[in-house]
Amino acid sequence: MNFKKKECVAMLLAGGQGSRLTVLTESTAKPAVPFGGKYRIIDFPLSNCVNSGIDTVGILTQYQPLQLNEYLGNGMPWGLNSNWGGVHVLPPYAKNKTSEWYKGTANAIYQNLNFIERYNPDNVLILSGDHIYRMDYAKMLAYHKEQNADCTIAVLDVPIKEASRFGIMNTDDNGIIKGFEEKPEHPKSTKASMGIYVFKWDVLERYLIEDEEDKKSENDFGKNVIPKMLKENMKLCAYPFEGYWKDVGTIESLWEANMDILGEDPPLNLKAGSRIYARNFAKASSFIAKSSKIINSYIAEGSKIYGTVINSVVSTGCTISKNAVIQNSFVMPDTIIDEGAKVYYSIIGEDSVVHKNALIGASPDTCEKSEWGITVVGKGKAVAPGAVLAPKENY
Amino acid sequence: MKTMGLIFSNIYDSSLAELTAHRTVASLPFGGRYRQIDFVLSNMSNSGIYNIGVITKYNYRSLMDHLGNCLEWDLNRKNEGLHFIPPFASGNSGIYGGKLEALYTAKDFIEDYDYDHVVISDTVVLCNIDYRPAVESHIKSGADITIIASPKQKGDNRLHALVVKADRTGRVKEVKAPAKQEGGFLASMGMFVISRKLLLQYINETFSKGQMHLERDLILKRFKAGKLTLNAYKFNGTVLRNRDIKTYFENSMKLLDPKISDGLFFSSSPIYTKVRDEIPTYYAKGSTVDNCLMADGCTIYGTVKNSIMFRSTRIENGATVENSIIMQGSRIGKNARLDYVILDKDVTVTDGTVLCGTPEHPVIIQKGATV
Repeated sequence: MNFKKKECVAMLLAGGQGSRLTVLTESTAKPAVPFGGKYRIIDFPLSNCVNSGIDTVGILTQYQPLQLNEYLGNGMPWGLNSNWGGVHVLPPYAKNKTSEWYKGTANAIYQNLNFIERYNPDNVLILSGDHIYRMDYAKMLAYHKEQNADCTIAVLDVPIKEASRFGIMNTDDNGIIKGFEEKPEHPKSTKASMGIYVFKWDVLERYLIEDEEDKKSENDFGKNVIPKMLKENMKLCAYPFEGYWKDVGTIESLWEANMDILGEDPPLNLKAGSRIYARNFAKASSFIAKSSKIINSYIAEGSKIYGTVINSVVSTGCTISKNAVIQNSFVMPDTIIDEGAKVYYSIIGEDSVVHKNALIGASPDTCEKSEWGITVVGKGKAVAPGAVLAPKENY
Repeated sequence: MKTMGLIFSNIYDSSLAELTAHRTVASLPFGGRYRQIDFVLSNMSNSGIYNIGVITKYNYRSLMDHLGNCLEWDLNRKNEGLHFIPPFASGNSGIYGGKLEALYTAKDFIEDYDYDHVVISDTVVLCNIDYRPAVESHIKSGADITIIASPKQKGDNRLHALVVKADRTGRVKEVKAPAKQEGGFLASMGMFVISRKLLLQYINETFSKGQMHLERDLILKRFKAGKLTLNAYKFNGTVLRNRDIKTYFENSMKLLDPKISDGLFFSSSPIYTKVRDEIPTYYAKGSTVDNCLMADGCTIYGTVKNSIMFRSTRIENGATVENSIIMQGSRIGKNARLDYVILDKDVTVTDGTVLCGTPEHPVIIQKGATV
């Protein structure tokens, strides 16, 4: 049954609650949060898998999985609907003697060792469902094999003053990881872990079983598994990644990442580079009325634009009414912005309605620096006519 | 009661010749992101008709490419689904002489499946219709054939292939083919409901007599002879008939009227089409877009007014496009000026080029050309 063997199986951790995304993840999992007009966050790692030739992806879900499961379906939009392999949603399940939730990232993979076993892979790729980036995992895999590493961790060079926000890898001149510090106060290097790991399958299996037996472990890759491997002198390599990568786990970073697709030579250029696939819904072309004004913005299909849109991303199926203004904002799918409403520096959740003359958010030029922040309207909310939502407010 | 569907993909190719040199009339792009066949296929799928034969004769590569495995229309099914019915290798070329000749090639397909009724349709009449009440009306009427037809539209003085006058119950009292639509007459939408067994009987009878034309040879002739009962099902929704280049152009522009487009596109019964995974459309600083239909994947630096922009089109700085239809993948160079133009797919308009047509005779640029 050799044809059933897969060289590499990807495991995508998609169970995070995303509590820092506040009202946006009240009823949906973080990987299902919309991005860039017609995508959801999970489209990026999934498309990366497909574009890297990885055709077997286990998706570990736990928190509010309904929308995510429906979105993934049989994996067809990503070409992951193959007979052997493809997309598999892996929720926690009741076992013979025990049944438990995923306790940590390592435990989530541990509970699905039998899934990986079926494909008997050489290597296992561990991914996060909350990062926006394009990456060719095949290159990382080639590097991993060339180095004959037990585990390879993708790292990004970050500015030294930001390094204390990340898990930092300390390496020797050959890129061999010698130490790992989670959010160090005084970082010794600028190589930040991107949360992307390639493990030799047999090594991963052994360490996950040992980790599970250790009752003191928090069952987390960063906190437990990687430090233990380092202690036991396993070969861990840092794979340097160059390009756009953003953890969109917070309101600010989600907003920033959306703004990063705008402009002539944007940090994240959707127009060039590998294609990002998404589940498409049957929507007509957008109607752009004579009364509209659109500057430096992306507008997805199925929208009706009568108002003004500046430096913004408007997703599929939205209506921006007459005299409404959207500026430096991200409007999620199927949302209605009524006449005269003004939206500045905000994220508006899907299926929401912003009624007439409401004022949401403010430009940083118009208020105190300490008071300014991104305003958020949650999923399915209605903002009353004339209501005012201050900067940083979560509605 | 189970219903199957039959679609003619290129009976009317010659009437839109400039745009059908490399495709069937069924795969003619329309409305920024659709092909004409998307409307009838979506209508059938949304009405629960899942076993559909597409009768085609030539130039059907683009149609097969568009339909693929039919997932988008929810027609990728285990026991039903979409079936291509290409011609028998009979040696004769050219389009089918008429719908009856085309139906004869589908005889085996119609015989193979045990359905009660068949909905027959062309692809040049675009609407968003639920076929279920039409089939119910057909059953209730007890008529041999039900003609789905629309009331007179303002300013329509063209010849219709078939017009009928019916009483209140829908029973047809008078038939003209072809004729202008006078007051009180309904114009056929080229969509018919008929029992499968009767259809097979008609196909056999007319073929042996060399009769090819459905409206003229079967419906008109037999009705006049008192051998055929007809029921009219009146459809009051938006109907667009793309019968030639002029009407294709006019109807495209009609989509800019929200009243018309809302009558075709509504969320309770969507019109499906092939997914292309385009990015959203980018509107650069300095661009102007007035009264346009914009598909995904476009990049706009210049000015577009009163136009239909298909997927992945690009308008460079200083270019102006007005009253035009720009199909997928076409690019309009810097400072070019287009007015009343239809650009087929993948056309390149070089910098500074000026193309001007009229509403009656838009300039048509063939697929892949550079001008």
